[in-house]
Amino acid sequence: MHRRSPLPLLLAALVALPVLFGVAYAALAVLGLTGAGATGELDWTRATALLTDRTTWRGVSWSLYVATVSTAIATAAAAGVALLFPRRTRTDRIARSLATLPLPVPHLVAAATALFVLGQSGLLARLLFFAGVINEPGAMPPLVYDRAGVGLIVALAWKELPFLAVVGIAMRAGVSRDLEDAARTLGATPAYVARRVVWPLLWRGLLPAVIATFIFAFGSFESAVLLAPVDPAPLPVLTMERFADPSLARRSDAYGLALIALVVGALAVAVHEWTRARWGALVK
Amino acid sequence: MTSTRLSSDTRASRGSQPWRAIAMVLLTISTFGPFVILVVQSTSESWRWPSLLPDALTLAAWRGVLGGTIGRAAFMSTLLALATAITAVCVAMPIGRSLAQLRGASRHVAAALVFLPVAAPPIALGAGLQIATLWLGVGGTAAGVWLAHSVPAIGYVALFFLGVFSARSDSDSDAARSHGATRWQTWRFVLLPSLRGPIAEALAIAFLISWAQVALTLVVGGGAVRALPIEVLSLVRAGQDREAAVGALLLIVPAVAALAALRVGVRRTDALPG
Repeated sequence: MHRRSPLPLLLAALVALPVLFGVAYAALAVLGLTGAGATGELDWTRATALLTDRTTWRGVSWSLYVATVSTAIATAAAAGVALLFPRRTRTDRIARSLATLPLPVPHLVAAATALFVLGQSGLLARLLFFAGVINEPGAMPPLVYDRAGVGLIVALAWKELPFLAVVGIAMRAGVSRDLEDAARTLGATPAYVARRVVWPLLWRGLLPAVIATFIFAFGSFESAVLLAPVDPAPLPVLTMERFADPSLARRSDAYGLALIALVVGALAVAVHEWTRARWGALVK
Repeated sequence: MTSTRLSSDTRASRGSQPWRAIAMVLLTISTFGPFVILVVQSTSESWRWPSLLPDALTLAAWRGVLGGTIGRAAFMSTLLALATAITAVCVAMPIGRSLAQLRGASRHVAAALVFLPVAAPPIALGAGLQIATLWLGVGGTAAGVWLAHSVPAIGYVALFFLGVFSARSDSDSDAARSHGATRWQTWRFVLLPSLRGPIAEALAIAFLISWAQVALTLVVGGGAVRALPIEVLSLVRAGQDREAAVGALLLIVPAVAALAALRVGVRRTDALPG
């Protein structure tokens, strides 16, 4: 028996209100109805210009690419930790702790450290010098500010791994031993059990966390501003640049870019809730 | 059957041994490497190419923390994070409890709504919050940044308490209410005492959300609110690596303390085996 009061939904809407307000204001600003330089009349010029600007879509697609690759790497690593170290032994416990230890390290710290390690004269370049691979900093292949986004991908994957590992480890621990025993009794090899019994359950349990980390990677400003190239500029950096643009007309572009980021975030939330509703019961 | 299974287990375990060893080495390097690098960087007097270690060590950057820009920024961040944590827990705990009473589709809708400020990219969230704080007359001030930090923190903590209250039975508070306790008395004498652990964890979560905010602080604070992450970002971009490393390590300190709290919480909920 439960109450049918509208209060809980109203409270949830209240929590979302700042985002909804931001969406409304941004939409009005892009259409020239409010904000700096607004005429008060509906004007599609800026919105059209923004949506047909190649810079916008290069920034969006580059941010999507970096978020996808970094999340895929972190997911593979987290699944690896969960599958390789599932037991109650001391070694497995240490491995699980090592994987989850950097959990609360801020993105900014991860990005700054990546810069110290992967920069042109960073620690990796020095190690390669001593290994005889390179003879000067200029010979080091660019790993930061590079178009492939190697440094940013490494920093984001490192930052995402602990969270995904926590979820993956918990999911692995929650996979019923009975299921594994039943498969083994029917003659399945350990590898087959891992592939056909443990992995499908682990993957479904991990998916909401994977989507959440994808959203964070997509929207991470501080990592992008320290490690990403100038061209293509990732979406968060592009948005901040437009916010600070001396031209008031271009500032409304920042709201348009923020709207695009919010649409991507909202789509991911929808997928997140769908997967929770669809698969939540299966992994309990 | 048992002996067949044991030998099969052993074979499988042996088969994965090289992978386990490689994974262990990589995990050790990736976990401790960055902290060691930051500590060395923060104490290096000069570190010329191609030396693997600094030519000389100094504690000058650490001595400059107190009374310097990093110290002031750390103090500002601490105030902001404490205010955000208290605000988020006070607002989000009753919301989480209320949402836990929902069932079916409305529960998913409510969870999605609460998840929005968490999922919205900070810079996109900041676009609306900047205008809201300007309207409230607190744009570019610490109060405005505190309000802005509270928005995602309330989302996170409401989701956290949604989980906490979903896993709890309402029987204690129902019993108190049936014995004549008011809503306030039920909260004060029944719910709050039994929620000390989750409240501490929620405070830690909200504190860390504020502590690590960069984009929201920049957009809403307009560069005038010099919190620690903003100072560290400026130092890294200016190439002041030693001071930046000191600031980065200071950013980790409360994070490590919160991790300890999280570990306690995780152990209590048996999320980690063993």
